[in-house]
Amino acid sequence: MQNIEDVRKDYVEQIEASETPRELLKAPTLKQLYGVIGTLPPEERGAYGKAINQLKLSLEAAVVTREAALENATIVPIDVTAPWDLNASPIDLLPTEQGTQHPLTRELEVVIDIFTRMGFEAIESRQIDDDYHMFGALNFPENHPARDGYDTFRTEEGYIPPAHTSTMQHRILKEGIEKLEAGGQIAAVSYGRVFRNEDVDATHEHTFYQYEGVFVSKTASLADMLGTLRAFFEAYYGQNLHTKTQPAYFPFVEPGLEFAIEKPAALNGKPGEWLEMLGCGMIHPNVLQAAGIDSNTYRGFAWGGGIERLVMLKYGIEDLRHFESGKLAFLRKFV
Amino acid sequence: MIISLNWLKKYTTIEESPDQLSERIGARLVEIEQITDHSHVYDGVVVAKVVECRPIEGTDHLNVTKIDDGGVTEGVDRDEHGFVQVVCGAPNVRAGLAVAWLPPGATVPSTSNDTEPFVLTTKELRGVMSNGMLASAKELALFDDHSGILELDIDLHPGDSFARVYELDDQLFDIENKSLTHRPDTFGIIGFAREVAAIEGKAFHTPDWLRTTTPSYGEKQGDIVTPSVTIDEPELSARYQAVVLQDADGTRQSPVLIQTYLARVGLRPINAIVDVTNYLMMVSGQPLHAFDYDKVLAVGGGRTDIHVRRGRDGESLTLLDGRTITLVPEDIVIAVGETAIGLAGAMGGASTVIDGTTRNIIIESATFNLYSLRSTQMRHGIFSEAITRFTKGQPAALTAPVLGEAIHLMNEWAGAKRVSEVADAYPSVESPRPIMVSSETINHILGSDLSEEAIIVSLQNSEFNVEKKDDLLSVIAPYWRADIHIKEDIVEEVGRLNGFDTIVSRLPLRDYRAVNPDEFDRFRSQLRQTLLRTGANEVLTYSFVHGDVLRKATQEPTNSYRIINSISPDLQYYRQSLTPSLLNLIFPNSKQGFESFALYEMNKVHPKEHGLTDEHVPQEIDMLAFTIVSPQQPGAPYYQAKKYLDFIARTEGLTLVYKPIEEEPRFAVTAPFEYRRSAYVSDAHSGVFIGIVGEYKKTVARGFKLPEYSSGFEIDPRGLLEATQKRAALYTPLSKYPSTERDICFQVDHSVLYDQIIEGVRQSLENVELEVIISPVDIYQPDNGATKNITIRMRLTANDRTLTSEAVNQIVTRVADHLHETIGSRVI
Repeated sequence: MQNIEDVRKDYVEQIEASETPRELLKAPTLKQLYGVIGTLPPEERGAYGKAINQLKLSLEAAVVTREAALENATIVPIDVTAPWDLNASPIDLLPTEQGTQHPLTRELEVVIDIFTRMGFEAIESRQIDDDYHMFGALNFPENHPARDGYDTFRTEEGYIPPAHTSTMQHRILKEGIEKLEAGGQIAAVSYGRVFRNEDVDATHEHTFYQYEGVFVSKTASLADMLGTLRAFFEAYYGQNLHTKTQPAYFPFVEPGLEFAIEKPAALNGKPGEWLEMLGCGMIHPNVLQAAGIDSNTYRGFAWGGGIERLVMLKYGIEDLRHFESGKLAFLRKFV
Repeated sequence: MIISLNWLKKYTTIEESPDQLSERIGARLVEIEQITDHSHVYDGVVVAKVVECRPIEGTDHLNVTKIDDGGVTEGVDRDEHGFVQVVCGAPNVRAGLAVAWLPPGATVPSTSNDTEPFVLTTKELRGVMSNGMLASAKELALFDDHSGILELDIDLHPGDSFARVYELDDQLFDIENKSLTHRPDTFGIIGFAREVAAIEGKAFHTPDWLRTTTPSYGEKQGDIVTPSVTIDEPELSARYQAVVLQDADGTRQSPVLIQTYLARVGLRPINAIVDVTNYLMMVSGQPLHAFDYDKVLAVGGGRTDIHVRRGRDGESLTLLDGRTITLVPEDIVIAVGETAIGLAGAMGGASTVIDGTTRNIIIESATFNLYSLRSTQMRHGIFSEAITRFTKGQPAALTAPVLGEAIHLMNEWAGAKRVSEVADAYPSVESPRPIMVSSETINHILGSDLSEEAIIVSLQNSEFNVEKKDDLLSVIAPYWRADIHIKEDIVEEVGRLNGFDTIVSRLPLRDYRAVNPDEFDRFRSQLRQTLLRTGANEVLTYSFVHGDVLRKATQEPTNSYRIINSISPDLQYYRQSLTPSLLNLIFPNSKQGFESFALYEMNKVHPKEHGLTDEHVPQEIDMLAFTIVSPQQPGAPYYQAKKYLDFIARTEGLTLVYKPIEEEPRFAVTAPFEYRRSAYVSDAHSGVFIGIVGEYKKTVARGFKLPEYSSGFEIDPRGLLEATQKRAALYTPLSKYPSTERDICFQVDHSVLYDQIIEGVRQSLENVELEVIISPVDIYQPDNGATKNITIRMRLTANDRTLTSEAVNQIVTRVADHLHETIGSRVI
């Protein structure tokens, strides 16, 4: 064993001085050491094998360190304050016509713009949150079966990549209490990235974008909600639209609905073709109460829809996976 | 969940077409994902009697039969009695059976959805003519039993249409369950029919047996010790009932009609005993379980003391599907004595399973804590019809009427007699509480204009008890509506039953004030426009990365929040900065033939090193990362990225300062960058720190297979915004006098930085009342490498005079002298 330690020291020294340290690993003396195993009595082989392995690992580590050092030595600092390099010429930008904005951020800007003009403040949604904001404050008790529908990821610490932008709802409500008490209303949209632990295919993504609206006042009604949503989609598609609803169950609203529009002319829609656009409902009194809003005095409605759906319909995009693929072939179509 | 239209029609009249009905259900109850039309699947299938059956010589299993179809089928050969000859290989074929006959020309129902459905003919089998076939349950597309032909009820008339007698000309509605998570009642066909009636504006009458919560349980015909039932902890189960029945015939089948109904909604008929439990579950939504009584006695050492208790750590239980699972205290088990015999609500145990030898049974009718069952479901992966219903929260009151009907049907279908009292553990009986709500409130919340009468009628149609008390309605929900607790639930009910789409939409009344776009949103939008002008492409990449991406970027995985339940290894860690995600995209795009491109992303990052917010959730940091690659060009790639950053700054009216990095920094965001060929960036005017720009470490470039010529930056867009908010006035009045330009070339030592020259020029002109614009012209290094020549252009403007050439010369001299003194430069 002492022998092995000596070999190690010797080789490490050589490696530290070598310009081609990896070559040393192929040295015949090392190979001979490995060959010794077979000649040993069986009871010694285990310990010897272990020691040889240790040796291998430590020499490999020494080579990596030496290689990095050699590589580092070749790095020449530059004048980081100069506009271009020595003896080089001024630098050009790429051609402007090659530049594109991502279709999802572009559509988000359109959506936010309409809601802003409708009097809704916009707040970006969090990408990591806790169980309370994702579920608890929204009337989903622990182990509630409705949680199943969300397929949430979790981190070691128990944080959740939010599965809906409603993760901001409790914050928006708390923040808005002052406005309500001053006789005003809460009117806000939250938007951003949400996550579901799903297998990815052409129509499923684990990462996508949502926009979510919240409105609270003393007189908010379901008729107000339907009117607000219709107004948004009419502004978005630039035409009058037929809408319809379908009862749905989300623990944070009561009643809860799915909202659909008749496919607009801009999308070559024909009468009788419907597009499900979002889920919505009157905010459950428990959700208002959890945020400290008196549900006997105030009522509200909320909705949430997906951005990808709007974009896919608009451009006829066939595969949800393109959005986060970073493929230039895809991105450069959105000039 | 599958709903059979014919089954619905047993409880309410339906006149609309399936499509109309589906649309109405969609608007007022739940989405119907699909309607499967079964009305022609059984065309031509005829009920026949086997009048004669004998084996075919020389075959081991074929029989030739003569069947009587009542003479209804045309175009087949008949013998002198009018019977038809059919060869059949089923082991159970025999004279006297009633069977389903597929005559020549009929399509085998199980193949009706195939691209080439199998159409029967007359053909010779072993020299014997055979007309069509006698069908098994599998061939009839009922359930997966191919062990023999389906034996029909014996009292049928030959020649009857098979579809008609078994009501198989059906439409199957596939329901999107998720929206009914809160409606256990609709998971029974009666409950669903009740909703259908109510949304059609018709009154519904629940069958008497289900309406009562105090059934009679029929006559007791024997004297067996009543099982003792104990719910060890009240939160495990709201109610547990059990009763012993004797002389149940485990070999009997349930009526064929019932078998076909179970089959069409996806349940395989087993035997009469099991079918009773399944049938009642489908009808009422209340799952039942039958234990073999004698096996329970054997397990319990002659006693039937049933306990509902928690699983014990390390305890194991073999389920009736053969799996042995290890229990935990979050599971609820049914135990007899100390021994677990079933996983409550999920699956019975193998030790007490009903089989052909079963004579005596215990029927369990119970409810369990739905949250516990849900965790059991996830832990053990059990997704049965029963647990699907239990996890919706069946009301405790429902167990009794369904048990009563089960006793009745067990007698009718399996000949079983009740021989014990009904044991009933029901720790806290809940009586329904009236909900007080005014029709005015209902109309306010809905924004509707419904009359009080219309509100009352719609609730009564679905069997709510409504009474007027002054201005208020006192509403009591029927016991099966476990979901009704508060006035909003009544509002939902009224809105839904009357149709939400009948409500006239309007915009909310509010005092409107213009809302300003969020400043950061506006700024980001502006940055995107700027970057678009530079020919860069915006990308969005996942917020999570594979551990390899972190390692390649020389970031420490321990600085990332780790996802523990991802189904994909690519989603292991929250990212610490955006640059690694961008670098990961370069090689795939290069491979696709793109050579010169710039990618950027604005998004959030979540390195652990930033800690938590006041709300105790991780800090989120907004970043903007940019990377550019191109084929080899003269000069260091560093300057390419810097050029972009300077361009962005200039469009925002900012001037950036680039500082060399003295030693290797230890931040996640700087990790991919080679510090000796990178710079820290801050705003010159405000001093706000912006980020890092540079080339990537060699190991990083190798890891991501980057081309030689690549560089980038990662900056804090909020910092950039802050700098624009603090920037100096952009505008100074125009001078009436012409400007003068002068180029100066400084020869300096190699170690002198470009900025030192610019800074020197500025300092030397500090007290001169001139507008000075300095721009670079040339940076030249002679072969010696010891010095470099930097040429700059000064554009000088005075706002009170035309500068004479003498004045300009003085200024140039002043600059040259100053620089000579400070950095030892020489003007050449």
